[in-house]
Amino acid sequence: MTAGLEFGACSDKGCVRENNEDSYSVAPELNLFVLSDGMGGLAAGEVASRLAVETIVAHCREAEANPSLPFEGERVPGLSEASNRLASAVRLANKVVHETAEKNGAEQMGATLDAVRFAGERLSLVHVGDSRVYRLRGNQMEQLTQDHSFVAEQLRLGRMTAEEAETSKLRNVLLRALGIDPAVELDVNEEMVVPGDTILLCSDGLTRELTDAQIAATLSENEDAKTAAGQLVDLAKQAGGGDNITAIVVRQIGGTAGLFARVVRWFKKWEFGNFS
Amino acid sequence: MSKLTLKFESSILKEVPVGSREVSIGRSPDNGIVIDNPAVSHYHARVFNEEGRMMLEDFGSMNGTFVNGQRVKMVTLQSGDSVAIGKHTIVFSDSRETEGAATVAVAEQKAAAPKINETVMLDTKERREFLQKVAAVGESAQVAPKRMKIATLIVLKGKTDQPEYTLSDKLTVIGKSSMATVKMKGWFAPKAAAQINRREDHSYFIGGGGKIPNVNGKAITQPTKLTSGDIVEVAGVTLKFVYRD
Repeated sequence: MTAGLEFGACSDKGCVRENNEDSYSVAPELNLFVLSDGMGGLAAGEVASRLAVETIVAHCREAEANPSLPFEGERVPGLSEASNRLASAVRLANKVVHETAEKNGAEQMGATLDAVRFAGERLSLVHVGDSRVYRLRGNQMEQLTQDHSFVAEQLRLGRMTAEEAETSKLRNVLLRALGIDPAVELDVNEEMVVPGDTILLCSDGLTRELTDAQIAATLSENEDAKTAAGQLVDLAKQAGGGDNITAIVVRQIGGTAGLFARVVRWFKKWEFGNFS
Repeated sequence: MSKLTLKFESSILKEVPVGSREVSIGRSPDNGIVIDNPAVSHYHARVFNEEGRMMLEDFGSMNGTFVNGQRVKMVTLQSGDSVAIGKHTIVFSDSRETEGAATVAVAEQKAAAPKINETVMLDTKERREFLQKVAAVGESAQVAPKRMKIATLIVLKGKTDQPEYTLSDKLTVIGKSSMATVKMKGWFAPKAAAQINRREDHSYFIGGGGKIPNVNGKAITQPTKLTSGDIVEVAGVTLKFVYRD
């Protein structure tokens, strides 16, 4: 039985902001999922995040059709071709956003970026900024990305407590973002995924309103990925919705574990249908 | 005065004097000679004076540095030598032969973006310091691997396709999957039993996948750092993690 992906995505401007500066894009044929949270005055944030996700998907699609498509930037040794290609796409997006900002004289235009691509058991992951990627496996939820924010850095260095970080006025200060400089330092990583795993990509509008435990519970309770994404966004809105909220939920299904679960579910349904 | 002339095809892009002070070459804007091309590493090479001789050193760059067509690590430059980096050429000329008006074009690097509105980025100075720190880390990481110890997994028990494995990739999968590094054999072996991640500081962390591994006899509940000599058991395979020189 071959493994497959099931996904759902939802984005909302929340309850306070006038517009939605988050953007996302999914390319199911490439198993590629991209999320970006834009920043900058007027429409700049929206433009930045939209440009970023579109550039990344376009570069990956192009590379799929033409594997010899030149790489943007250096290859990172120790990474698969797919991960290097994804990093190349993000570097290109950085360049495009940066050049667009310069051309239009936009004071500043930037965006966070998370891009994941599934290939068999391997997950390629490129990250810049303070949007996040989580993996839920069983009841274990793990944050796969590190926030590139000032407070997260202080926390890592032990100069701030988690509580201070939560309430700090500097919570909004990013150390890295796409589009700010001609080149950007990326976190490029690979992770393993097994059937049953759930990967969540989300903007900070979600993680500021909900705790990791609340997010994990919502993901576990909703079998359908689309319902889970929608419910996460709803919950964050109910909790205040102070910022734009975006969630992409991707489930790895199939394999023997998935098959077993399905048999169990089918069996339960049959049982209930007949006897209750 | 000696100088380095940066050329692309036949056009001269820049001339930089070189003497007692070292000139670094690379894609990052803080190099003495900046070549903004993806084929060039951020910190690619440098030219420096060693007891009166001009030396060229490649920093272990991805695509290499070539002098008169030969890939080099470290060489003494002779006047007229042509150094190829990516598609660019840097010609080294010694003082006596060059009288031409040495245009010292100091790269006026556009100061990294100014203030971002309200929220989001650190101000330029702070951010620059931060970026420099990041760049410095990147640079040392490029030079470091030679001294780095090599993480190795030795198979003590169980069926795998090799007796031992060097962990050169960022992600090592243990399982039967075609993309697994530590490839398990046998009908019931899981496709992806466990994973080992190499982190930025070159430490290695093991985490469960289809199975929960034991490290030194104890089942792990979260990604666990491996130290030399650790015994890992997962899905019927026993592995010893060691650092080799």
